Amino acid sequence: MSIEKGTPRRGICLYSYHNLLGKTMTLDDAFEEMADTGATCFEFLTSYIPNYPNPSPEWVDHYWRLCEKYNMQPSELGHWAENHLHRGKGMTDDEVVEELKQDFRLAHLLGFKALRTKITCTNEICDPEPGWQNYIEKALPYAEKYDVRMQNEVHLPTTLHTPHIRDEYLDFIHRTKTSHFGFNIDFGTFQYKAAKGMEDMAWLNFDDITKPEEIVDFLPYSYVCHAKFTYMNENFEEETIPYPEVIKLMVDNGWSGDLLSEYEGGIRFHAEEGPDKFAQAMVEIPDQVRRHQIMLRNILGY
Amino acid sequence: MVEFQPIQQRGFHNTYDENGEIDGFEFKFVPKYYKGYWFTQCRFGNVTVDGEVFDRDEIIFVYDGIEYSREEMFDLHKYWQFRTPLTYRIKKKGGLSIGYHDVSLQYGWVLNYNGALEKEFDGSGMGNMAHMFGVDNQRRMLLCK
Repeated sequence: MSIEKGTPRRGICLYSYHNLLGKTMTLDDAFEEMADTGATCFEFLTSYIPNYPNPSPEWVDHYWRLCEKYNMQPSELGHWAENHLHRGKGMTDDEVVEELKQDFRLAHLLGFKALRTKITCTNEICDPEPGWQNYIEKALPYAEKYDVRMQNEVHLPTTLHTPHIRDEYLDFIHRTKTSHFGFNIDFGTFQYKAAKGMEDMAWLNFDDITKPEEIVDFLPYSYVCHAKFTYMNENFEEETIPYPEVIKLMVDNGWSGDLLSEYEGGIRFHAEEGPDKFAQAMVEIPDQVRRHQIMLRNILGY
Repeated sequence: MVEFQPIQQRGFHNTYDENGEIDGFEFKFVPKYYKGYWFTQCRFGNVTVDGEVFDRDEIIFVYDGIEYSREEMFDLHKYWQFRTPLTYRIKKKGGLSIGYHDVSLQYGWVLNYNGALEKEFDGSGMGNMAHMFGVDNQRRMLLCK
């Protein structure tokens, strides 16, 4: 029996515009810009909620008016399972759960079904700090109550074959049989060379990357993915990440989650260095996101 | 809206005591990072103006109109809202002269990204994110009054 092809939605991470937000771009501007690309959903960050974690009813109303005006659907709320908010060795599991519950409630209020949940790590490949299972498992009933799915981000240089992905996260999903914890697979994990303008970033290493076919096993546990990119050329191609191949595998295997454009070009590190750099960012960032959305449209056919 | 540089020129001026005498200066700072923080995650370093160092424990931080010391920040359960300036108020008899000044400061934070945990559990260091984003901020600014 053949698998019905998936129909992922095209969306955008508001993070892509972070250098401009609050400087030359308001939230209203960002919604208009996103809608212009043809995207239909978006990722927000808890930090972009004014007066977080207690937004005013007026702001929440305004947020929903923007969603309606621009026909944009909430996709994912990025948040942090912080257990080092205070001096000392760390917080108790119950304290972390309270932080998580607070964000679950906000996600529910703002219409997000998925969360990009950052779990504290201890090294560059994001091995989780031991004990993470305790607070995440305690939070699962609340994730069910508020109908949200936590997703750990698999982000370069982490790969889908980095041991903790299967040995810890996948094992946790199987043991708890939860559908409220999974993976946001960041497409940077498939990146095989440095992007234009980022060749000098010494911390980038492409010796060990995720192969496209590895994604198939993880699709049942993934609801939203960061469609990471660092440079789009004028032919609407990402030259460092095998987008057509990865998306074909997702679609052919029936994946109908959200693909969210997440721009992480070199300019994000330099935009604040001077007027010339910031002017470059003002032009380059929206342009790059638009190019990426055209690429997704070309690949998906819609 | 804030200026694109982390150290803001808007708000840079001398301050006056109750007798109308200049008793210092102040300016505002907005981290360039893409998100906000709980103040307990923040690690504030010294400020340097034209080579003169002002110790981090002598700085008065003003947020939402309330003054805090660096030490008080560690127990402050308050979120530093994204793109919201924090005022640095610094005591200096006579303040700064009219004209240009080179202002720099160190600022770091604690977060759970792609790296080791904070080494200094007492908060004495600059957090654990310097390997990705550094801690140094500087700007040449024009003071008018």
